[in-house]
Amino acid sequence: METRIPAIKDVLRTLLQADFTTVWRNRRSLRMVLLVPILILISWKGAVDKIGPAVVMASAITIGLASIGLLGYSGTIARDRDKGVFQRLRVAPVPTWTIMLSRISIQVGLIALMTLLIFIVGFAVDKISLSALGYVTGLLVTLLAGWLYLGLGQLIVALIKNPETVNSTSRLVYVAFIMIGMLGQFGAFGKAMKDIVQWSPYGVVQKALAGSLQPLSWTSDHTMALLATIGYTVVFVALGIKYFKWDNK
Amino acid sequence: MTNTIEQLPILNVDRISVYYGQFQAVKEVSLDVRPGEIFGLLGPNGAGKTSTLSAIEGLIKPATGQIKVVGFDIVGQPLYAKANMGVQLQATSFQPELTITDILKLYAGVYGVKLSKEEVFNRLQEIKLEDAAEKKFGQLSGGQQQRVSLLIATIHNPALVLLDEPTTGLDPQSRRQLWERIEAIRAKGHGVLLTTHSMEEAEAVCDRIAIIDHGRIIAIDTPERLISLHREDPEVISVSRKGRITLEDVFIGLTGRAVRS
Repeated sequence: METRIPAIKDVLRTLLQADFTTVWRNRRSLRMVLLVPILILISWKGAVDKIGPAVVMASAITIGLASIGLLGYSGTIARDRDKGVFQRLRVAPVPTWTIMLSRISIQVGLIALMTLLIFIVGFAVDKISLSALGYVTGLLVTLLAGWLYLGLGQLIVALIKNPETVNSTSRLVYVAFIMIGMLGQFGAFGKAMKDIVQWSPYGVVQKALAGSLQPLSWTSDHTMALLATIGYTVVFVALGIKYFKWDNK
Repeated sequence: MTNTIEQLPILNVDRISVYYGQFQAVKEVSLDVRPGEIFGLLGPNGAGKTSTLSAIEGLIKPATGQIKVVGFDIVGQPLYAKANMGVQLQATSFQPELTITDILKLYAGVYGVKLSKEEVFNRLQEIKLEDAAEKKFGQLSGGQQQRVSLLIATIHNPALVLLDEPTTGLDPQSRRQLWERIEAIRAKGHGVLLTTHSMEEAEAVCDRIAIIDHGRIIAIDTPERLISLHREDPEVISVSRKGRITLEDVFIGLTGRAVRS
């Protein structure tokens, strides 16, 4: 008798297929993570001339990243952990990292889709036109910054076991990002809050994205924002992995 | 990847201990499951059944001792050991968005089994659920869910099948039907390890049982011999209700009357 271990590529293909189906059939969540940034982009049409097209687009993408990481990713991870989906997969002959890699890959694909939709809507509705290099670097920095919000979502799931508490906490953090981040960056809550927002996960991602969408205007401020984005990402991902438990019992 | 496996025993648990922090949940537990045998693990709530099963499944690492599935160490060669076992967990444990066909394909895939559309249909037909192929798991009745779970646990034809309280919450008809399916697994030469609270189930389907309490195995034998060995125990006689000694009397006599949380 011979023992056969499934090949990693076959396992990943199977997991990706199931995870894609899960995201695709979860239409309410999908609409939420894709529509919110698009609605923000459309509603900010009048601000394009005042604050610049790159800032408008970067803000919409940042909110989209927060939607995916905080509303989509953390919620499904918390739910599936609570239902024992991960434990069921972990008793199969698959390395545990493949389970999480598949989940994250689908989210990265969703980030790419959200970014492309924003580029299209930005062009069609807000008449925002970037250079070809701007679209490419913008997409690359978005994919990098996406890890920050996925890492933050992972950290919330790692620190909180109850799925309902994860949902409410994620929503609270999300709303805080939208309200404080979007309004605070323009000084609506005073100078001190503006400085805090600028160096918050919202502010640094938005700044790095704005710079990447117009790469020829890249400054040392954008470099600092990008480095801070990477720093936040490393901390969130490291703590999110360290404290994550596959089982919530 | 392939590897040659040793044949017997299908499962060998050798003096394992499991700790949660300072608390020792499993204390030097040893047992083995042979081919063509249904082995029942019985115990009150919190006795260490699920911890023992979790260690066998590779979900928690025992502090001491060794677990081998058809010769493969669950800690040293987890993928090979897991490839030789099928597991039915207590919880629902499937994504609610997936249909029964999706779930079947997912678990066939992670166990390295390729199933065509026709094969998926045939497998579902075997458990009389061919009409439920496009239904979600949550839309099935308890009995249907257990049939799907058991089908998935055996989808790769494993040498060892682990069933954690498989008939909990089922009506008598569904329970009988599941017993027949478990016996069919035994008839094919597979080893089955199941946990249960039902003494009726243990007596009806298990070839051997182990009673675990406070993390230790306190008795291990065939149901008939356990009854025979303990029928004169004063504790067993004192809890007897029907004028004859049953496995439940032996169980309560050995583990005590106190209700566990």
